Amino acid sequence: MKKLLIAIFTLALFPTAYQAQEITLKGKELFGDMRARHIGPALMSGRINDLTVHPTNSRIIYAGTAGGGVWKSNDAGATFSPIFDDHVQSIGVVTLDPKDPDNTIWVGTGETWTRNSVSVGNGLFKSTDGGGNWKEIEGFENSERIASIVINPNNTDEIYVGVLGALWSDSEDRGVYKSADGGKTWNKILYVGPSTGAGDVIMDPKNPSVLYASMWQFRRTGWGFNSGGLNSGLYKSTDSGKTWNKIHNGFPKGKLGRIAVAVAPSDANKLYAVLETEQKDKNGLWVSNNAGQSWEHLNNDFGLVVRPFYFSRITVDPKNPDIVVKGGLSGSISRDGGKTFKSLGNMHSDIHDVVFHINDSDVMYAGTDGGVYRSWNAGTTFEIVENLPLSQFYHISTDNETPYNVYGGLQDNGSWWGPNSSPGGVEARDWNSVGAGDGFRVLKHPTKNIIYSEMQGAENVWRYDVDKNRTKTIQPLPRKGDGELRFNWNAPMAVSAHVPDRFYMGSQYVHKSDDMGDSWTIISPDLTTNDPAKQDQSKSGGLSVDNSGAENHTTIFTIAESPLDQNILWVGTDDGNVQVTTDGGKNWNNVTPNLVGIPANTWVYHIEASVHGKGTAYAVFDGHTTGDMKPYALKTTDYGKTWKNIISDDIDEDAFVRNIQEDYENEDLLFLGTEFGLYVTVDGGKNWSHFTNNMPPVAVHFIDMQKETNDVVMGTHGRGVIIIDDISPLRQINQEVLEKDVHFFDSEPITMVEQGGFSGNFGAETQFVGANKPTTARIIYYLKKRHTFGKMTMEIQDMEGNKLATLSPGKSKGINVVDWSFNTTNPKMAEAKTLSFGGFTSPRVSAGKYKVVLNKGKETYEHIIETKYDDTAMTTLADRKKQEALTKEMFDMVEDLAYMVYEIGEMQDKAQDVIKNNPKGKKVAQSLYDALEDLRTDLVVTTGDNYVASAEPELRERMADLYSNIATSYDRVSGAQLQNYELIKEEFEKEKVRYAEIKNKEGKKFMKFLEKNEMDLTMKTKEDFLGDR
Amino acid sequence: MKTLQTLFIALFVVAMVPSTQAQTADEILENYFENTGGVDNWKKIDGMKMTGKAAMGPQEFPFTQTMMADGRMLTEVDFMGQNFIAQAFDGEQLWGMNFQTQEAEAQDAETSENYKKNDSKDFPDPFLNYKDKGYTLELMGEEMAEGTEVYKIKVNKGTVMVDGKEENNVAFYYFDKENFVPIMSESTINVGPQKGMKVQTVFSNYQEAGDIFYPYSIETKYNGQTGQSIKIEAIEMNPEVQDSTFKMPEKK
Repeated sequence: MKKLLIAIFTLALFPTAYQAQEITLKGKELFGDMRARHIGPALMSGRINDLTVHPTNSRIIYAGTAGGGVWKSNDAGATFSPIFDDHVQSIGVVTLDPKDPDNTIWVGTGETWTRNSVSVGNGLFKSTDGGGNWKEIEGFENSERIASIVINPNNTDEIYVGVLGALWSDSEDRGVYKSADGGKTWNKILYVGPSTGAGDVIMDPKNPSVLYASMWQFRRTGWGFNSGGLNSGLYKSTDSGKTWNKIHNGFPKGKLGRIAVAVAPSDANKLYAVLETEQKDKNGLWVSNNAGQSWEHLNNDFGLVVRPFYFSRITVDPKNPDIVVKGGLSGSISRDGGKTFKSLGNMHSDIHDVVFHINDSDVMYAGTDGGVYRSWNAGTTFEIVENLPLSQFYHISTDNETPYNVYGGLQDNGSWWGPNSSPGGVEARDWNSVGAGDGFRVLKHPTKNIIYSEMQGAENVWRYDVDKNRTKTIQPLPRKGDGELRFNWNAPMAVSAHVPDRFYMGSQYVHKSDDMGDSWTIISPDLTTNDPAKQDQSKSGGLSVDNSGAENHTTIFTIAESPLDQNILWVGTDDGNVQVTTDGGKNWNNVTPNLVGIPANTWVYHIEASVHGKGTAYAVFDGHTTGDMKPYALKTTDYGKTWKNIISDDIDEDAFVRNIQEDYENEDLLFLGTEFGLYVTVDGGKNWSHFTNNMPPVAVHFIDMQKETNDVVMGTHGRGVIIIDDISPLRQINQEVLEKDVHFFDSEPITMVEQGGFSGNFGAETQFVGANKPTTARIIYYLKKRHTFGKMTMEIQDMEGNKLATLSPGKSKGINVVDWSFNTTNPKMAEAKTLSFGGFTSPRVSAGKYKVVLNKGKETYEHIIETKYDDTAMTTLADRKKQEALTKEMFDMVEDLAYMVYEIGEMQDKAQDVIKNNPKGKKVAQSLYDALEDLRTDLVVTTGDNYVASAEPELRERMADLYSNIATSYDRVSGAQLQNYELIKEEFEKEKVRYAEIKNKEGKKFMKFLEKNEMDLTMKTKEDFLGDR
Repeated sequence: MKTLQTLFIALFVVAMVPSTQAQTADEILENYFENTGGVDNWKKIDGMKMTGKAAMGPQEFPFTQTMMADGRMLTEVDFMGQNFIAQAFDGEQLWGMNFQTQEAEAQDAETSENYKKNDSKDFPDPFLNYKDKGYTLELMGEEMAEGTEVYKIKVNKGTVMVDGKEENNVAFYYFDKENFVPIMSESTINVGPQKGMKVQTVFSNYQEAGDIFYPYSIETKYNGQTGQSIKIEAIEMNPEVQDSTFKMPEKK
């Protein structure tokens, strides 16, 4: 018996155990239609790596961008659209198949202008449908940077790929590759060594078996850069890449750096090369007039020799071999075969690529650090493409204004702030400049209208008084005995949550100011490793010295003050130290030895001091500057004594991490900013989901959570500011919720935002306009399964169950978001010849509770939401109630008129029927018809059109306009409106009397006639008539 | 009701198929037509008259759309009791009413020709007899759409003319792996100022319409943002129509 019981018990347990299995939703399954929105900005755009024109269709242009993916223009560069949003956003090169340029596009990923802040690529991709879909080509997963793709125009299965390769480590993936079968298989056909990559690989325009390849020996570290070596060289093959020979006849001996090479499309013997050599006077432009047999030095002007690692692109006019353009600080153009140059016209500096229009060399396109520019006069005047939101943020922050502002600094594009929403959308003109040079951290003073910003290496730190429009320079300066202060290129700043005027900065020391930066105290010893081997940047650059400050190392990189205790400060350094003080800086504890799984000296990119416990913090580590791309994030709850890894296998193994943001309410909800986009966990890091709804895998450099709105705001390095509105539903995700078929997420009472400004968004046709934060009620629910078969509807009801509005419910598996604009339905309007636009107004609901009713098959799910009036209202509650009452009265009046006009119409129809078919009743019918028509023409418009041939407004039009004005106003009903109401009401009363009289006189006679002839006049009841709404 | 039973049986059978089994595009379509009433019933459709509501933001308008298997089409919207013909096609000419004058105007020749060569073939279903239409299909693989697992099928529909230049006309359909019906389609707008923007059409509320199952909810999204929601309330199968209904009236 006992055995049997056990057996039954066990059996009974089995299904329970099965049911209790955890539901884990990931990615799109979890996020459903929760979407990110992009607000740009695009006014300063971002860095472009490569431009490509279609060989026969001059409308089509591609831009391969440094950190924002691939963009395609179908209108000759007026506007661009992104076509590569599911893949890594750092692009090296875009090449079109010469035989099938409409459809077949090759993209090599990984930026090739190898500055300190470049992102990484992860391979070679191909589209065969003009960019709609992409397939990764096997074999290039570890290429990191692809500089060149060339295709034999006679046999497009023959493809050559130049892999520049890893920037921060050795790599055997470098070199020139060839496929003879359209990309199925590849052979490495030119390889020099693990530190030497392929730059330009080009093909002779007449003879596809002739190839040229420039090889470049280079390496970057966190603290320096080296361009040049004995392995760099320029090679030629005349047998389709089987054998290669150096073509250095005329070049100086010794080390060479980055080499640019181009062949004139109209003269295959004419080659141009730009060299970086050991002999300064031999740097710059070289020419060969015999296809590389010998070289002649032409020019070493500044524009030709400046920063070879950053500018190494030569473009030759497609028709004229003597017109040569070279990328550079300003870009240079020669019309005498390279002997002399002038600068290109004004545009954003740092020109990386220039292309000519295929038919008209007056038209040129340039790719710069600040987007794509167009010239119509051969390069003298340039205008910017205004819809490329490629801004590259290093950092962002938000404030508590309504709408809140976003602050941040950009690569080579200064510092800015702008609203997250603006009438008509966030446009270029909404953004304000708050710093020059490269911009990094920008912070708002917690209580005053003051903004802190900085430029590279804290060369200037600014305190900007917004109201007074005054700037003061406030960076910490060395005092006697301090020695040299080492600031990072991207120097850390922090404001205190406890003492509003307190401001922190980090060099190798922590600097504290309690007077907004006027005076500073050093409150720490050198917190870095202070390793002298990483401190000599004077020789950085290699053959061409490049000491911009970008490589300054052994510096503090992140400072985090605990939101719970002003004496707790966390510091992370670029050389791997995590330090903490619990007494405001008197004592510092180096907790680096306690870290788990982090290689020594790995850059501490961000520390997040938690609101969930004084000893709790998160630290993320970025090893990519040593070639270690792994994601690292740790959590401590005991001031750094012990740490726990919170990275799971869900995260791409190369998605190195730059930032983490915790939720202020749910400790298990975390947001991770990686090189390949955003990851979210709802269980404290056991499982991570890649957020991909309108969120490309772009490098996320910084994340902030805006406390009032629960918005996650991301500063991306290539796609500007991207926001996920109100993540509070993610706080409520748990097993209980996930097991339900339908679950409505709770929300706070929803403010019915009152806005009534103008936007006048001229220029929006070709300008990027950022999406606004929805001001609707967002009804958010979870569906366990996608709803496909059967009826599913949603409506808003008052608490008595009366239908107020119908909504279109989302049916995705996972989270669904439905917007309700607080409106009910429009009034039913009287029929007329034209439209009465006031009738398209539907009244807003009052503040209060409403039912959301979701019918799904036979099931009904209800959820209650609450709306409230805007705190910034211009009117009193009493006045608002009056307005609501009058709105209702006018609404009913409009519908009363509609029903009256309906009745008139029905009677007129019947009268016409009699006139046509019953000669005996013709007279009675005609007199009724005429009397009604007289009346009708006074009630509604019966002639004209909807534009300038419109008729004078009749009662319907005037009534609807007044109704609309009252219903849409955010202020009390005005005296003028009341007087107009009296007039219209009186007029309507008169018309009602007139109508009654007609019915009584002509109507009666007509009805008698109908009765006598046994004819019917059926009419809908008012309820039925309105029910058709 | 018979179709409903067939559907349940079909779903049951489908559920038995191990989900890892590879499918071809034609097998997916076969399942799709089988699960929605059978291909024979689809082939019997000469025309459909759909009535319902179209919503754009908070505004909702009653509409009637008549579509014929020979390509003729009429879309009428009710604005304040006025019948406004948004778009119509008589087999040759695409036309619609001008909003200001409320009079019929022809659409430009290129748009008309594109409609004739492409869109007019897609009723009652782009996949019905797709080979006869000159379409080719490609199973792109499995993906996630609408939070759920789907098969992605590419339809090459030939070409359209865009401002005088010929371009490919391609659409992608996402078939729910569980029941094999399309829950979303996606294409890139190839004309006008929105050129390059991706437009998604989301299908749900599949219900009986005559002998087939048809999506009664059709939502159009632009780059993922809802633009227009169509709720079909009733479908009349093979309605009686006058040829004149589709013809563009003379200007008054």
